[in-house]
Amino acid sequence: MSGLAVRNEIRRMRQEEPSMTQAELARLCGVTRQTIIALEAEKYSPSLELAFRLARALGRNLEEVFTFEEK
Amino acid sequence: MFLGPDGWLGIDTGPVGAVVLYAALLLLAVHLAKNPEDAFPSDAPPAERQAWVAIVFLLLVAIHWMVFVVGMPTLGAAADEISNPASRRFATKVVLLLIGWAVVAAVLRRRNVDGVELDERDLRIQCSASRTGSGLTALLIVLSIVALATQPDRLAPWLRPLIVANALLGLLVLGTLAENVSVILRYRLAKA
Repeated sequence: MSGLAVRNEIRRMRQEEPSMTQAELARLCGVTRQTIIALEAEKYSPSLELAFRLARALGRNLEEVFTFEEK
Repeated sequence: MFLGPDGWLGIDTGPVGAVVLYAALLLLAVHLAKNPEDAFPSDAPPAERQAWVAIVFLLLVAIHWMVFVVGMPTLGAAADEISNPASRRFATKVVLLLIGWAVVAAVLRRRNVDGVELDERDLRIQCSASRTGSGLTALLIVLSIVALATQPDRLAPWLRPLIVANALLGLLVLGTLAENVSVILRYRLAKA
């Protein structure tokens, strides 16, 4: 269990949409821009609710944005 | 102002020093209002900026408190009165500092263009920091109890109700200060 971690594709998916800045994604999800930075750097694992909000803001399914895999 | 009635090592610590300090705080507030990005790390979230402000003001309150409590035994019978010249001066300084803190915190909140002040990550960090602050407060209280039990003669001059009450208030200030330092450290560690 200790070798598994939540990984995400937030940065890549956000950069696919030029208008989706970190600030815009933060606004859509109701978090600070610094939390988006921490999420993209995989320094923070979001709550389930925030994970759903992120997926919705990026127009993806939860499983596309987040994976649970080996570090 | 901090360590004596008029001067310390050639530095004016009396009324002029107080005016200089509060003028500097006012200038800081104005600076924060105009250039918050210059005053804090650019990657600092709003909650971390508020913690920096809290540390500055709590440090000043803690220094005032320390000077006041250490000087209380020398007040004689006045130390047993709630309102005496020293306590009034101390209360005035603390109230001014609290007002300054509220003003700077409000300015910072107004300058937050992102709109979100606290999110779930901030709350997690503050929750962890709160445990650190509570733990330190408990530790300080235990150390105080040990000191009272092992060195009653040495602490006798301080064993008066109002001095003990002020000392307990000071421990709460130190605990809150530790909590805010812990907030800063946790944000910094999260970025490392």
